[in-house]
Amino acid sequence: MAGGGWAPRFWAVVRYELLWNIRKKKLIGVLVLALLLATLALVLPVVLSNVTGLELARNPNYVVDTGIGVGGLGMFLFAVAVAMNSISGEFEGGTAVTLLTKPVSRTTIFLGKLTAALITLGSAYALLLAYMAVGGTIVYGPQENLHLLPLSLLGATLSTLMWMSIVLAVGSISKSSLLAALGSFGVFMALAVGSPIISMASDQAWILSYLPGGGATGYLAGAGGGTPYTLGAAVSTGTDGIAANLVRYALNPSLNVTFFKVANRMQVVELYSEPLSAVLARSILVASAYSAVLLAAAWYTFRRAEVLD
Amino acid sequence: MDLAVETVGLTKRYSQLTAVKGLNLEVRRNSVHGFLGPNGAGKTTTIKILVGLLRADEGVVRVLGREVRWDAPETRLKVGYMPELPRFPRHLKGRELLDIYGRMYGMSEQQRREEIPRLLEVVGLKGREGDLIGKYSKGMQQRLGIAQALLGDPELVILDEPSLGLDPVSMVEVRNLMKGMAKEGRTVFLSSHLLFEVEQVCSHVTVIHRGVALASDTLQNIRGMLMGGGVVEVELAEPCEAAAESLRSLPFVSRVEQSGRILTVELKTRDDVRAHISRAITGSGGVIVAMGWKGRTLEDVFLQLVSKPVEGGA
Repeated sequence: MAGGGWAPRFWAVVRYELLWNIRKKKLIGVLVLALLLATLALVLPVVLSNVTGLELARNPNYVVDTGIGVGGLGMFLFAVAVAMNSISGEFEGGTAVTLLTKPVSRTTIFLGKLTAALITLGSAYALLLAYMAVGGTIVYGPQENLHLLPLSLLGATLSTLMWMSIVLAVGSISKSSLLAALGSFGVFMALAVGSPIISMASDQAWILSYLPGGGATGYLAGAGGGTPYTLGAAVSTGTDGIAANLVRYALNPSLNVTFFKVANRMQVVELYSEPLSAVLARSILVASAYSAVLLAAAWYTFRRAEVLD
Repeated sequence: MDLAVETVGLTKRYSQLTAVKGLNLEVRRNSVHGFLGPNGAGKTTTIKILVGLLRADEGVVRVLGREVRWDAPETRLKVGYMPELPRFPRHLKGRELLDIYGRMYGMSEQQRREEIPRLLEVVGLKGREGDLIGKYSKGMQQRLGIAQALLGDPELVILDEPSLGLDPVSMVEVRNLMKGMAKEGRTVFLSSHLLFEVEQVCSHVTVIHRGVALASDTLQNIRGMLMGGGVVEVELAEPCEAAAESLRSLPFVSRVEQSGRILTVELKTRDDVRAHISRAITGSGGVIVAMGWKGRTLEDVFLQLVSKPVEGGA
C-alpha cells in the first residue's frame, strides 16, 4: 500500500507543521500585538490631529515607507514565535519518537518545517501589510506604489529568516525551546546594544554592516552632498533594513547613502558615500550567509540527534 | 531462514553504561515474537536502534532484509512502530494525525479515506477522531499509537509495552488485535512486562537481561527450559493406585507422587506427553477430572533466567 515519492512526504511535513503553527498561542499573540501596534501607529496621529487642531497631512507613500511596521525587534519576536519550538519542541514533548520513525528522512522533515515556518511568517506579514494598506489609505489618503509591497514582504521575510535561523540553530543544538528563545534573545540584545558600542569605540562602524541587526546608519542623497540634517531619510545598512531598502531601490535605483561620524566638539564629519544598491546587495548577502550557515548547523545537529527519552 | 529482524553483536553504550551487549536477535517473519526483560534490560534501547532513533555503537542490524543505517526512511516504509507511552502533537486532531502520517507513508487520498476510519474503528476511537489529541486520555493516546503503527500496511509491527495504561477490557482488545495482525501475516515484535500477555499471543520469545539475550526460542521450548523435564499434575475422580503404578512404568516418567486424588508426575522429557499420561491412567481404570503443567509457566522460566548471574555482566 505504501509508496509515493519525495514530494507527498515533504508536503505532509509542511502540513503537520502548519497545523501546529496556526494553532500556536505564541504566534497568535505576537500577530495580535503587531496588529495592535499598527493600529496605534495609524490612530495616534488622527487623535493628535484632533486634539491639536492641526490638519493631518496626506502621505501617499505612507504604506510603502512603513512596510510591515514592526521594526527589528518585531521581526525578532515573530522569528521566536514561529521557530522556538519547531525542532526542540519535538524532543521536549516526546513527539519526535513517532515523527522520526515515519518513512521520511530527517532532511525532508527539516526542510518541511522550515518551509512551513516561512509560509506562516509570509502569511502573517502579508496580513500586516494588507492591514497597513487599508489603514494607511483611510488615514493618509490614496496610497501610491502599492505594487512594491511584495518587495517589502520579501525583504521582511528574508530579514526574519536570519533571526529564525539563530532560533532554530540554538533550539536544535540545545533541544530546549526555552534556551532557543532566551539564547537568541541574548544574541539579539548583544547585537542591538553591544555591537554599536564596540564599533563606535573602535571607530570601525563598517563592522555593523556585516552583523545581523540594524547595522550602521547612513543618509539618502541623490548626486551632491550635505549633512545628516539636510539629506533625506536615514538608511539602516543591516539585515533588518532589507525591506525598506528594496522599496527605496525600486523607487530610485541611483540613490546614494552617505555616512557621517560625530567628531570632537560635536562636529559632523562625512566619512564616505556608496550606492544604495551596494548597501542593499551587501545586506542581502550578509543575511543569506548567516541564514545558510546557521540553518546548516541546525540541520546537521537535527540530523544526527538521537532520541534518548 | 526468512528473518524480519536480525541483530548481530549489537552493542549500545551510554557513557559508562553498556545498555546492550553484543545482542544477537533473530525474529522470524510472520511470527509474534515476545521481547521480555526486567526494567533496564535493554529492550527499549534495542527497539530504538531498530527504528532509527538511536545509533548502534557496534554490530549489524537488519530489518526486513535491509541493513539499518542512520536515518534510512526506506527501511521504515514497511515498519509500524508504537513506542512505550506514545506522545503526539496535542494541537492535532486524531484524524488529522493519522492523515498526515498516512501521507508520510505515501498513501493515496483514496487509501487514507478507506484505511483511517477502519483503523479508528479497530482501536475503538471512532467518534473521537475529531477531538484534539490534547483532550485524549492516556488510554486513547495508547489506542491512537496502535492505529498509527498499523498505517501503511506494515510487514513488521514493533510494539513497545502496548498495554501500558490500558484498562483490562482494552488490554484484551489489544491482545486480540495482535493475534489479528499475526493472522494477517504480519510480523509482530512485542516488548512487554506482562508475561501472561506474551504467553497468550507470542509464538517465539527472547529474554534479555542487562543487555544480553539469555534465551531465544519458541514459547514451548522456552517453557521447557527449566532444568530437567516438566511436571504434570493430574486430578482424578477418586484415588487410584493402579493409575500411579501404570504411570511409573512409562519410560519418560521419573517419579510419581500420589496425594489423595492428586497425582504429581515428574518427567524426564520436555516434550508434551500429556496424551500418553491420559491413556495410561484411563487404561488402568482411573478417571481424569483435570490435568495441567505444573511450575512451567513463562513466569517461572523468566524468573529463573533473570535471577542467574549474566556472563561477563556487572
